[in-house]
Amino acid sequence: MAKLAMLVDLTRCIGCDACTLACKQENGTPMDVFFARVLNIEAGTFPNVKRVYLPVLCNHCEDAPCLKGCPNKAIFRRPDGIVLIDQDRCRGTGACVAACPYGNVYLVRSDRWYLNEDEAYERDYVKPRLNQNVARKCTYCAHRVDQSLDPACVVACPTTARIFGDLEDPESPVSKYVAEQRSETGREPFHLLPEAKTVPTTCYLGPMAEQASSSVPDGSFAEVKR
Amino acid sequence: MATRHAVPGRHPTESPPGVARVVRTTDSPNCTGACGWLATVVNDTIVDLKPAADYPCDEYNPRGCLRGMSMTHLIYGPDRVKTPLIRTGARGAGQWKVAMWDEALDHIAGRMIRIRDEFGPESMLLFNQVVGTGYVQKGAQVRMAALLGMSFATAYDFNGDISMGFTHTMGIDCVECETKSWGHAKTAILWSSNVFQTRIPDAQFLTRVAKQRNNCKIVVIDPRCSQTAKGADLWLPIQPGTDAALALAMCRVVLDDGLLDEEFLRKYTDFGTCVREDNGRRLRASDLGMGGDDRFVVWNEVTDGWTVLPMDTLDLGDGIRPALRGHRTVEVEGRSVTVRTVFDLIEDELRSDAYTLEAASRVTDIPADTIRQLARDYAVNRPSSIVIGMGLNHRLHGDLTIRAVLLLSALVGAHGKPGESVSIYSGQHHFRLDVSAWWFPGGKRPNAVPMHYFTMGKPTATMNPKIKFPKSGFKALFVSHGNPLVTEFSDPIKKAIDDLELFVVVDFSMTPTCEYADVVLPAPTFWEKVELVGTSCHPYLQMQQEVLTPRYDSRTELWMVRELVRRVDPSLLPHFEFDELDAIRMMLEDGGKEVAGITVEQLQKGPVRLKVHDPEVGCDEQFLEDRLFPPRAYPFPEGAQREFLKTGRMEFFKEEEVFQKLGEALPTFKPAFEHLPEEDRAFPLSIVTPHSKWRVHSTHCNNPLLMNVNRKPVVEINPRDAADRGIADGDPVEIFNRNGAYQVWALVTETIKPGVLCVDHGWWDRFLGAGKYHSVHTHQKVKPTHENYYLPAVYAPGQHWKDTRVDVRRVK
Repeated sequence: MAKLAMLVDLTRCIGCDACTLACKQENGTPMDVFFARVLNIEAGTFPNVKRVYLPVLCNHCEDAPCLKGCPNKAIFRRPDGIVLIDQDRCRGTGACVAACPYGNVYLVRSDRWYLNEDEAYERDYVKPRLNQNVARKCTYCAHRVDQSLDPACVVACPTTARIFGDLEDPESPVSKYVAEQRSETGREPFHLLPEAKTVPTTCYLGPMAEQASSSVPDGSFAEVKR
Repeated sequence: MATRHAVPGRHPTESPPGVARVVRTTDSPNCTGACGWLATVVNDTIVDLKPAADYPCDEYNPRGCLRGMSMTHLIYGPDRVKTPLIRTGARGAGQWKVAMWDEALDHIAGRMIRIRDEFGPESMLLFNQVVGTGYVQKGAQVRMAALLGMSFATAYDFNGDISMGFTHTMGIDCVECETKSWGHAKTAILWSSNVFQTRIPDAQFLTRVAKQRNNCKIVVIDPRCSQTAKGADLWLPIQPGTDAALALAMCRVVLDDGLLDEEFLRKYTDFGTCVREDNGRRLRASDLGMGGDDRFVVWNEVTDGWTVLPMDTLDLGDGIRPALRGHRTVEVEGRSVTVRTVFDLIEDELRSDAYTLEAASRVTDIPADTIRQLARDYAVNRPSSIVIGMGLNHRLHGDLTIRAVLLLSALVGAHGKPGESVSIYSGQHHFRLDVSAWWFPGGKRPNAVPMHYFTMGKPTATMNPKIKFPKSGFKALFVSHGNPLVTEFSDPIKKAIDDLELFVVVDFSMTPTCEYADVVLPAPTFWEKVELVGTSCHPYLQMQQEVLTPRYDSRTELWMVRELVRRVDPSLLPHFEFDELDAIRMMLEDGGKEVAGITVEQLQKGPVRLKVHDPEVGCDEQFLEDRLFPPRAYPFPEGAQREFLKTGRMEFFKEEEVFQKLGEALPTFKPAFEHLPEEDRAFPLSIVTPHSKWRVHSTHCNNPLLMNVNRKPVVEINPRDAADRGIADGDPVEIFNRNGAYQVWALVTETIKPGVLCVDHGWWDRFLGAGKYHSVHTHQKVKPTHENYYLPAVYAPGQHWKDTRVDVRRVK
């Protein structure tokens, strides 16, 4: 048994979208399909405004609504915790898309592509990987995990903000990082939408930067100077 | 476990036969990041890219970003130039003849011979972008220009990357610590710098190291809550163009609060030298009969008398202690002359009413308490780093702003240690080795002419006499690795091109510049050719490998120039009978101490560390080895920069008449837009044009993969400004002023200061709603203090891309 998990440290993350593109490249997803995304959020009003980048991906929930919702039993959970959609069993009902509270399952009726049709890259190496009219989502790069490799977004993250491993193994990178940060920076991992009671394995550590901004004391702004 | 199909992505039902091979290479785009990659290749097709993450010192791993990752879609993208093209209609009409190489080269060479014979070779101009990112291929083009006697316009100054504030102060156009040094900082000021977006592979030294290990206080000064503000402890939305007022008010706090580092000032700056009240010139040894005109004196507190400053070391030992303050009277040619120290003059300037906290607060929109706290943090909470971004530099008075920031750093001595520097990562001018052996055969150099004068169509009255503007003007232009028709100056440049007899563009992508060419030559991408690559961001020299054979009919730049020379002047052919590895060997052999002992064979195995300090702190030779300023600017010989930094120290007083005339002898604040005509100043909004996350300048603008996450050009506008104009989020809007107009879409956001607009730079016109990209820019202008000396890309005119005022309206 194992409990594979992805931890995203929001102190390290710079919102660069390297994960987004690394995932597209690794998984050969068609246009408008993103297994990994970075939400670019603004909060507050000027000048007390914060910019927040939140990388999101499948949470590989222990109590996965997509798995329970699939009428064809196409979604299953591997012993290591990875939740997968069996591409041969999937009938494209879209029940999982509706069930996922995070919006991380994709179903497009007809794939659109990026390059001219005669380009060998997509024609021979990308398109043949995919079934049509089926639901797709992040697999934690199970094909890489099975070869003892980290997911593509993890190896491509230029700030090493994504840490992957087995939470049940105290010696795994993710367990060690959680323990180290607990003692050094006092941060505890958290999950998205805990109220949905999905028990995600993807988890986050919070930002350390204070993100204050200065404002002129009376709250007014000087007229534009020339 | 996963069934064959359970995992979308890695188990193709069928794929062509072929053996996968993995190649270690590096990319070399104009972000200058130089990231190592592992490319998996099957049947001459890249099927996978992953960061190599093989830098021997693990702290540098991994490197790479979304743009590098998406390069496959430019290599295979629909805009690839596949064959040579010769124009058959009017320029820009899009009518082409698909040509064979022989035909295209004969076409070009025939015209080159005629132009050379009729107007002289100097009327042919080479303009290739950012030569520091590709020593071999771009160097081959310079080699051709040198041997044929052509003119050569360095890109660095035209781009506005040149930072004349650094040149005026330190004798070199920019200074960078390697990014690993950031990790040591406890205070980091990102002054209009957006490194989370522009230095993606390096940003981890701020987040993973400085923040996480030192709890570094990160401050972002920017009118816009940039991507980097995401990781900042404090964001200061400054009034655009007022940064010098902020810096000088911080200097005043340092003075008032007694936070000066006097030992630093005595040793590394001109603060102890004296200025004559009679003529405003610096007091020289010759004035006192103590030595030559090129030596300077200080009042020595050890001997209580005048002492000549050494010009072979910065080390003053126990024998010299320059007095920082005091009026003194000296005898010069029988007359008595009052002299004052530079420090005294600076103190007077800083004590003026313009730099009180209250005055600065009014000008900058930053509260007085915040300015004071920032100055104190910077001076006390050490090590302290400043990274300057182009928002400061891309202004006519950007030189003054940078001089003011450098003054702040000098007052507290924040230089020369890990985590302490003022850096500007403004492009890759700094060569990591002396490339002269390859570029300038037999010492022969091309005729350097700043691109500004080409754009303006003629020299200015104040152009430096060293510059040889061709007598009959320019007749031919060769653009390579560049896209000058996607700049604010696309119209004037087009106008200048219209007067040419030959306009050749070398590129792998059909850019707007290619579309206007007479002949387009297809180049390989940097995944299809061999190159030697260095960067100022990290200390590794790397070899770029030929991962793919050049696709379609593309040929390397080295091959192109060899074939042109064969046709134009076969007697020069022996200079080109080398391959890329020969060129690399040639450069390594004579490349200087940084590359001593490095071989091609080592580079073929992986990244090789240069012989430099660990970490490099910026101006290492000066701060760590006591050698005089300036640091040498490769590929110019030692001593070439002395004339504009005569004291060999950081100069905060500039004695040349041209500075005095403009009132710029000392760092000072001048309102950013004061140089614009009244009618231009009347427009109510500032506009900034930062780098985009989705592009490297204008490269990747047409990358289908990145267009999927960056669909159309937007202007960021504060809800207050939008409401005043009836603009809603997503509306098509037109940005306009007296100079021009162009159409994009509104992004109404609280993350930008009222009164400021933001459009990220590098959009090709075809993606705009209408008009030409940033055609609202003001006219090309050159500051006389950038012309009084000339050393290509070191002392040369800069740019003022951000000095534009505009308005915006909804388009129906």
